[in-house]
Amino acid sequence: MAEVVLRQLSKHFGDVRAVDNVSMRIPEGEFLVLLGPSGCGKSTILRMISGLEDATSGEIAIGGELVNFKDPTERNLAMVFQNYALYPHMTVFKNVAFPLETAKRKASDVKEAVEKAAATLEIGELLDRLPEQLSGGQRQRVALARAIVREPRVFLMDEPLSNLDAQLRQQTRLELMALHERLGITTIYVTHDQVEAMTMGRRIAVMQGGKVQQIGPPVEVYQTPATTFVATFMGAPPMNLIDGEIRSTNDTFQFVRQEYSLDIEPLTMGIDPSVLEQAVGPSRLGVRPEHFSLGPPDAVSGIPGIVEFLEPVGSDLFVTVDIGENQVQVRMPPEAQVRQGEAVRVTFDLHRSHVFSTDERNLRLIQPA
Amino acid sequence: MTASETRAADEDLDEPRFEYDQGTFEAEARRQRISRNIRKVGAYTTLSVFVVIAVGPAVYLISPAFRDSVSLFSYPPEWLPSEPTIENYRFLFRHTEYLRWAVNTLIYATGVTLVALVTNTLAAYAFATMKFPGHRTLFFLVLATMMIPVAAVLAPTYLTVRMIGGWPIIGNFIDLDTYGGLILPSAVSPLGVFMMRQFIETLPSGLYEAARLDGASEWRILRKIVLPLLKPALVVLGIFVFMLTWASYLWPLVAATNNDHRVLTVGIQSLNGQFVTNWGVMAAAALLTIIPVTIVFLFFQKWFVQASMAGALKQ
Repeated sequence: MAEVVLRQLSKHFGDVRAVDNVSMRIPEGEFLVLLGPSGCGKSTILRMISGLEDATSGEIAIGGELVNFKDPTERNLAMVFQNYALYPHMTVFKNVAFPLETAKRKASDVKEAVEKAAATLEIGELLDRLPEQLSGGQRQRVALARAIVREPRVFLMDEPLSNLDAQLRQQTRLELMALHERLGITTIYVTHDQVEAMTMGRRIAVMQGGKVQQIGPPVEVYQTPATTFVATFMGAPPMNLIDGEIRSTNDTFQFVRQEYSLDIEPLTMGIDPSVLEQAVGPSRLGVRPEHFSLGPPDAVSGIPGIVEFLEPVGSDLFVTVDIGENQVQVRMPPEAQVRQGEAVRVTFDLHRSHVFSTDERNLRLIQPA
Repeated sequence: MTASETRAADEDLDEPRFEYDQGTFEAEARRQRISRNIRKVGAYTTLSVFVVIAVGPAVYLISPAFRDSVSLFSYPPEWLPSEPTIENYRFLFRHTEYLRWAVNTLIYATGVTLVALVTNTLAAYAFATMKFPGHRTLFFLVLATMMIPVAAVLAPTYLTVRMIGGWPIIGNFIDLDTYGGLILPSAVSPLGVFMMRQFIETLPSGLYEAARLDGASEWRILRKIVLPLLKPALVVLGIFVFMLTWASYLWPLVAATNNDHRVLTVGIQSLNGQFVTNWGVMAAAALLTIIPVTIVFLFFQKWFVQASMAGALKQ
């Protein structure tokens, strides 16, 4: 177990900045998720921590010690790969024992440690099998057993669940969390799946273009996204962005979009008017699908639009409404009576919306309720 | 929609709606069967032609190998021996150094195979997994040597081996008319390096990375992970090199001139007299010579197929 610190870490492949000046502190025992689309640099960070890839610049410290110039072997980390990387010609026992045998441990110690790891992951009865005789879920457990058997300081996991089917993925997710709870080993987990990130991470680092966009507890990242990228990457369907402008006339403020205008009352909403003054100009309003509601076309408030698609998913009904330049998705109860082509008005709760500047930053005008 | 509505809509599916006769199905099946058979006949005819071209000369050896030289030139020609004889073999073992040549060939081919497996695998592993400066250029140079015909480097190789032969100690092992001098120049083949590199590259890179994180050194990765997985490839390369070496002629011809180191191909050629050639004995010697390699091949045939399939299958 150890703390992992990254300071101004960068990795360039030619002209491409795969990782661009990333700094973060991962305290001992934490479960941190690196989340982002493919090519955002999350796997590269993991590979640099492991030592499989050299950093172009910046520091990697594990347990208060600089490891940049140490071989992967000397860093005492364990990594779980997306395709498990089990040794196909070795039995499960041999696979799990490999790191210990490499370290020239006594045969009796090896046996004991392998059996303990196998018991933890409930693969005791598979020890004589070859990887090809195992199911995907079992292979995953073997890979985990091989990782925990030598009690590493840090666990690195590179999309370990993405080769499993949906049901098994959910089950394994819970097991991984239980395992982390029990062992308390610092874990850095890479995924592009925001559900995995939300449910597993104590903190999430959302990455894009080699940079960390936001780092924080899942709920915080979901509720107060720092940028429009985070807002649209977290949540399914994503947060809706509505283009418009904040105007001020005689001490009153409005969010204006085409013929629609919404009054913003700083005092009743607890917004500092001087802050709002600075936000005057073009901006984007961000609203989650669950914070919208639909009203009749003759309602006094709301943005007018036309229902374009209906997506019933069983527990909810997602309604896509065309409001001119933008489309928005509205989450409705499954029994809602909405018809395609129908004219509606989309209303929302300003208290739970976000105002983003034109350079995509969240202006944090409104504190989440 | 209620349950009865569903049924009403589907009633349409219970009865055929188009006009045809049940016999049409059978006629269509027959037509397809015939066209499939015609294609098969075509394929087998083509293959048979190639088999005759490939195997014909070897089969043609069998008859003269069991006849005396006189009956070989009888007219009308006899395709099968009327009085089969093993006289040719007796002559081969009594009056030539056939056994000596066979032992030499076995030592030569086995030696080349073993050395080639080691050098080719090591070079291929380095080319496949290590990104040292200039690895591309170096690999290109290795491959480029494939384009140089053996005959073109015969003289330089000969001179080099003769020069090494003049050195102290090492010259006792590597010289003209030594096994070392015979084996070493044949044992490094760019083709082998290329082949093994291709095999190693089919292994998922995650395996090395996992092993590296598990604390394994390059040697341990090679020994414990790569070599066991390369077994089929090693067998194939081994057989390949063994058969090529067994039948090679040019280098042994110049490198081993005395009977103590002469190999079968050169030995058989030496049976060719200046004025008279005993074709029966030649045929017998050639037939005997191809038997061991045929056995080796048949024995490892399963591995050959397995290795050629490697990489074609999903991991």
